[in-house]
Amino acid sequence: MSRLNILTICGSLRKASYNAALIRQLPSLAPASFAFTAAPPYDGFPHYNSDLQNEKGFPAEVTAWADAIRAADGIIIVSPEYNWTIPGTLKNALDWVSRMKDQPFKGKPVALQSASIALLGGSRMQYHMRQCLVSIDALVMGRPEVIVTFAPTKFDDKTMELKDQPTLDVIKQQLAAFEPFVRKISGK
Amino acid sequence: MTKVITICGSLRKGSFNRMLEKALPALAPAGMTISPAPSFADFPLYNADLQNEKGFPAPVNALADAIRAADGVIFVSPEYNFSLPGGLKNALDWVSRLKDQPFVGKPVAMQSASPGPVGGARMQYDLRKMMVFLDALTLNKPEIFANNCASRFDEKTGALTDETTRGLVKQQLEAFAKFIEMHGKK
Repeated sequence: MSRLNILTICGSLRKASYNAALIRQLPSLAPASFAFTAAPPYDGFPHYNSDLQNEKGFPAEVTAWADAIRAADGIIIVSPEYNWTIPGTLKNALDWVSRMKDQPFKGKPVALQSASIALLGGSRMQYHMRQCLVSIDALVMGRPEVIVTFAPTKFDDKTMELKDQPTLDVIKQQLAAFEPFVRKISGK
Repeated sequence: MTKVITICGSLRKGSFNRMLEKALPALAPAGMTISPAPSFADFPLYNADLQNEKGFPAPVNALADAIRAADGVIFVSPEYNFSLPGGLKNALDWVSRLKDQPFVGKPVAMQSASPGPVGGARMQYDLRKMMVFLDALTLNKPEIFANNCASRFDEKTGALTDETTRGLVKQQLEAFAKFIEMHGKK
């Protein structure tokens, strides 16, 4: 089985993010063929403004982010929910790359995960993200969904390691399902 | 041959969505047949007690079997109160309970017609969410939102006459044929 390049995109910028902690957990739960890379940072992207794009073209950071997406066989977006939807910074990043001629998400296999401190686990972010990904024509895997509720009870306070067995199991199942999904689409 | 069935969300005779559904076979690419699924009009309201006592009603099994036998399913549905018609949702609720759940891994596309300006889009995004639960594979683009639909059909014959809509439907069916090919017929 050839190696699959899996790019992770984290929707939170803060250091102690549960979603970032979730991403750190993935390699130990993934099929052996997955090679993970973190997407380049998007927190320096300017606010999308088509005047800016027309005057100066795409900023170098946007191009770097888009190139990383193009080079990946599959993408895993792990993001919190802010005000019932996608964090504005992440949405801004999607808004930038959606304007590119060789639109990087087109036909790209995507899986979604979210963690939140409350009982809905970021699910409203996920359904809005699915809708955005229809617009940019990514291929989003259905199930299993990874929705980590009450995150503080599931991660170790000090190490931020994911300790909850049912959550570890469902992530493993999702990654195992993502492998054939990516292979079918990428032909790898 | 790729076998596609259509499920219409409206039950009324003069339905614009029914007219749209009827226009599909003539617009399908070579190698694709399109025919209507058995009706859900006679499904009882879902009630787990009923299911436990009497099992699945025959019309539910008929629809489920047709979905299983198809290579792809196209929903053509109006939007009622910003979402799916209750009748269609009830039909999905029934088939979702079957052991061999017919939508798992099934390629799905959707279309909607409405007299309003949004063309049933809110129904489609709710339906997409349900398709995640049922683990179907939903086609992204092109999306078909036949808005202000009365002008798109012939008043007397119900034929889809609007060339823009016909072109878009053709494109969607072609994209759906490729999508079914990519995700592999069972």
